[in-house]
Amino acid sequence: MNASPDPFADAPDAALLVAYANGDGQAARILTTRLLPRVLAQATRMLGSQTEAEDIAQDAMMRLWKIAPDWRQGEAQVSTWLYRVVANLCTDRLRKRHGAVSLDQVSEPLDAAPSVVAQMQTQARMTALSDALAQLPDRQAQAVSLRHLEGLTNPEIAQIMDISVRSVESLTARGKRALSDLMAGRKAELGYDDDEPE
Amino acid sequence: MMMTNPNDDMLEDILAQARGLTVVPGHGLMARVLADADAVQPDPSTVSAPQTGFWARMMDAIGGWPAVSGLAAATIAGIWIGIAPPSSVQDLAATMAGDEVSISLFSTDLMFDTGVLIDG
Repeated sequence: MNASPDPFADAPDAALLVAYANGDGQAARILTTRLLPRVLAQATRMLGSQTEAEDIAQDAMMRLWKIAPDWRQGEAQVSTWLYRVVANLCTDRLRKRHGAVSLDQVSEPLDAAPSVVAQMQTQARMTALSDALAQLPDRQAQAVSLRHLEGLTNPEIAQIMDISVRSVESLTARGKRALSDLMAGRKAELGYDDDEPE
Repeated sequence: MMMTNPNDDMLEDILAQARGLTVVPGHGLMARVLADADAVQPDPSTVSAPQTGFWARMMDAIGGWPAVSGLAAATIAGIWIGIAPPSSVQDLAATMAGDEVSISLFSTDLMFDTGVLIDG
């Protein structure tokens, strides 16, 4: 058995993308294995639905394949570019929602096993979050998601959204306040105690 | 006056749950993404290039387009080769192809130690 290490294993994303654009037969598989999980996770967190997120993820990766021949190395990171594309595709999708709530991940349980009920509650919370995001201006929704769902820093978000750090801070503060207000009336429904504020 | 806001607590809890979601791409999605990649991947044998003039001379310098298409084999040995044309070539290519040509430099980031090239 040839024990030499896979030369692709540590190659930067951009180098693999260039190799793909030059006809390499392995680069796409490695890039997909690396990048698809995060792309899907980001979309799932914003949309509250893995099924919808799969459409977005496939769309985002297709855009990456299409831009590969034009990729200019050293100008941006592939990960930065993907965060931006996914965020934009998600806010586009959220804007098209008309208040329809989808519980596609978990259908009506046949029994009331606690794990299933917990799953349904989690799904309901994720859907409520994404429905609230859908009511924010796109840039607030993106900034809040990148900060509080993806855990990125303000400078990273500034680069992704091509805005100043101060703008990021403003958008995340306003967006988070708006989310909190939007979800205020759903506490009992989402399984939280509806106590009077102290 | 500072007051704790239970709505904020609920939001924090839900955001934390969302951050903690484990999301794994299924085989179906992986297959679709790879099929897309295959469908739009440029064919190295038909990579367009002007056949005359400065651009052709630049290509000859690295052994012509067959050398570029040979990257599929070369990459097994771990080399990515880029070309940095003079700006006049880039302008010519852009005029003829209608697109900006994006080409990387010979970069130490992309070059592997020659030890990797030696088979066996």
